[in-house]
Amino acid sequence: MEEKIRGSVLVVGGGIAGIQAALDLADSGFKVYLAEKGPSIGGVMAQLDKTFPTNDCAMCILAPKLVSTGRHPNIKLITNAEIEELTGKAGNFTVSVKKNPRYVDESKCTGCGLCVENCPVRKAIYPVEKVEVKLGPQDLERMKKIITEYKNKEGALLPALHDINIGYSYLPENILRYISEELDLPLSLVYQIATFYNAFSLKPKGKYTINVCMGTACYVKGGNRIVESFERALGIKVGNTTEDLMFGLETISCFGCCGQAPVVVVNEDLYGHFRATKVPQLIKSYSETPKKAGMEVGNAEVKG
Amino acid sequence: MAYRTNLMLCTCTMCVSVGALKIKRKIEEEIKRHNLEDEIQIIPVGSSWLCTRGPTLIVQPDDVVYQFLKEDDIPHLVEEHLLKGRPVKSLMYIHPETLHPIEKLHQIPFYRQQRLITLRNRGMIDPDKIEECIARDGYKALAKVLKSMTPEEVIQEIKDSGLRGRGGAGFPTGRKWEVCRAVKGSPKYVVCNADEGDPGAFMDRSIIEADPHAVLEGMAIGAYAIGASEGYIYIRIEYPLAIKRLERAILEARDYGLLGENILGAGFSFEAHVFKGAGAFVCGEETSLLASIESKPPEPRTRPPYPAQSGLWEKPTNINNVETWANVAAIINQGAKWFSEIGTETSKGTKVFSLAGNINNAGLVEVPMGITLREMVYDIGGGIPNGKKFKAVQIGGPSGGVVPDSLLDLPIDYERLQEAGAIMGSGGMVVVDEDTCMVDFAKYFLIFTNDESCGKCTSCREGSAAMLEILTRITEGKGEEGDIEFLEELGEAVKEASQCGLGQTLSNPVLSALMHFRDEFEAHIKYKKCPAFVCKDLITYSIDPDKCTGCGLCLKQCPADAITGKLKKPHQIDDSNCIKCGVCRDSCKAKAVILKDRFDK
Repeated sequence: MEEKIRGSVLVVGGGIAGIQAALDLADSGFKVYLAEKGPSIGGVMAQLDKTFPTNDCAMCILAPKLVSTGRHPNIKLITNAEIEELTGKAGNFTVSVKKNPRYVDESKCTGCGLCVENCPVRKAIYPVEKVEVKLGPQDLERMKKIITEYKNKEGALLPALHDINIGYSYLPENILRYISEELDLPLSLVYQIATFYNAFSLKPKGKYTINVCMGTACYVKGGNRIVESFERALGIKVGNTTEDLMFGLETISCFGCCGQAPVVVVNEDLYGHFRATKVPQLIKSYSETPKKAGMEVGNAEVKG
Repeated sequence: MAYRTNLMLCTCTMCVSVGALKIKRKIEEEIKRHNLEDEIQIIPVGSSWLCTRGPTLIVQPDDVVYQFLKEDDIPHLVEEHLLKGRPVKSLMYIHPETLHPIEKLHQIPFYRQQRLITLRNRGMIDPDKIEECIARDGYKALAKVLKSMTPEEVIQEIKDSGLRGRGGAGFPTGRKWEVCRAVKGSPKYVVCNADEGDPGAFMDRSIIEADPHAVLEGMAIGAYAIGASEGYIYIRIEYPLAIKRLERAILEARDYGLLGENILGAGFSFEAHVFKGAGAFVCGEETSLLASIESKPPEPRTRPPYPAQSGLWEKPTNINNVETWANVAAIINQGAKWFSEIGTETSKGTKVFSLAGNINNAGLVEVPMGITLREMVYDIGGGIPNGKKFKAVQIGGPSGGVVPDSLLDLPIDYERLQEAGAIMGSGGMVVVDEDTCMVDFAKYFLIFTNDESCGKCTSCREGSAAMLEILTRITEGKGEEGDIEFLEELGEAVKEASQCGLGQTLSNPVLSALMHFRDEFEAHIKYKKCPAFVCKDLITYSIDPDKCTGCGLCLKQCPADAITGKLKKPHQIDDSNCIKCGVCRDSCKAKAVILKDRFDK
């Protein structure tokens, strides 16, 4: 380009893309305005540990760029700001930017963080909508035992969730909220743990949970065909429950009963050497005689 | 009281599932009926024998074994054998070749080549009675260690024995202990990894169900050696019986003063806790397991610091697998020299494998290291059922690989298996026959790892999904030229970029299948054929009119109404309606349903 570089550029968004764009433009001589809605630049990458595919440390890439952006003579940072209006056409835009008040003198603030620590109404910066958790007397009774057992103990969440799961056979939302309050654990953590493990479900389960083993031995002996047969017979896909809440269909990685492969487990009854042709019979045996359910072929008595 | 005969009835999860407890009640009834209560006792044991042949019963001291017991067999059995002393031939193991019943347990080929160290009490004791374990030298090693050995001597003994971690990676156990002992910090912890997540593996469950005290004793010795006083056993929630037995074992050991404060008056205290996992494969990885015990999100973290330096609650922690712990007491009792004489140059001792899949004698096997795969499959395993052809052994679960026919003479040893593209892993060994499609099999493992990836590393989370997509395309007949090379490249990238063992090994099943069964992948991609007739989009079902008797069974069973035909006339399958579920093939007694390539070129 022979022409003299003229004019200025507005980059909207101070994430890694915005920062890089602003730096490249500024290095080639443009005056850059970098507008960011949040109080600081950095965006999502500042919250990451590693980046794909090289697993490089995210902050190690980002931090030097943050510093250069802040110090670059050609870049003007406009944080806490939003674009209100944009007029004109390519080459000649007029933008009006609304800068929200920061209530801190930016020219003097060193970012030491002391005021944050000392602010008595600190939590009010991110107001959390308080959800009142109300439990029935029966639930309260159950919870009381769990709370007294695990309160102020380290590493109590997973055992507590196990206990809840045994009582309800799933993890009800209001109970999780209650536990989070009482054990003083962030709800996000409770949710993360509750959804991480296969043993927990946030939805009520059917009366009978049919678990088809998909361990390697069961797979090579036709486990997936058994799953398909159950799906057809119950009219639901794996991971769902029938509408009448009778049967839930799930797969499990391995019951460690490979000698009996393929294996199907209904609640706590284990059926070995199972065949796809036995599916209708099994479903029938559980739906017809609720009191004395279970088949005569290979009946189980494994109780926890 | 002394009994003349002991009935060792297997009550592992598998045998219980096929009615072992009903058999127990029936035998009790029969014994009572014949007034033999003072002469004969039933001892419920754990994982005593061939798991496919349950419920099984071993009569001692006659050493006679019975299999596939049914309630109706019991009166006859009790009367003939226990009353009249005539073993019942019809309930015995039948030799697959000679077709003669084999009476004695130790004459059965499945048993002959096994050497029991880890499973020394298998089928010999009631796991719920500590007295029986103590009678067979249980806790003798702990006493020896506490009374006559310093922690350093214990570590040296384990180092000399050459014991390596049985969880898969094979790190020398003694070195691990030494590092943990040297680290400053208090308290220290020992952890037993019983989160046996590998599909197709059941060694840890069986060891705990057969002899929970072996694990506890090993942990107590390890705790003494590294200077810990608390231990956790992290066990899968899917193993309710093992959990029950372990909890009971801890209570009993505590009652006897073999756990708890001031054990055997030697001033050493050790407490063990059972911690139940909640069904996450990644928790088998040590850092993730520790995070799970702390009720943190169970994602692996970078090492170093290793758990030996900063583990549970950021304290020095030593983690070993169930099988490793179960070996410890035997080594202390019989000496490092004895142990190191078993096995190969680099891999000492024995290894427990769970032999499963398409094999006659599926079950728990303990063999000296260095035994060949051929011996495992044909001598111990008894070959492939239904006259099918052997295709491969899958070793090491989703982290391992397949070993083909040509490598069957490979001795089992950490290094040699690695060279062949598989790993020792925890010891799951699944035999597959000619009816298994290797592309589909590789896909199966990726479905598993993709589902179980914790999602922390992008390479593992997205890499497994990308590989799965390609494999799915290949099995659907939409494979393209270059897919194989791309899979290999992607597999290597995922290996290098992932943080924990799950990601670093998830491409092994695919890469090893590509190494040994490349032609099968090529057949799918180039000729749109599935040589094993598994991939639904590449095959068609049809009925051989010469064989079909027109019985109508398939027509009745077909869920898609794809079969037409009149009674006693050859039937037909309408390919456009057929969903390829295979029910017709299963139900046909005349074997008239045949599989063909869909795209015949």
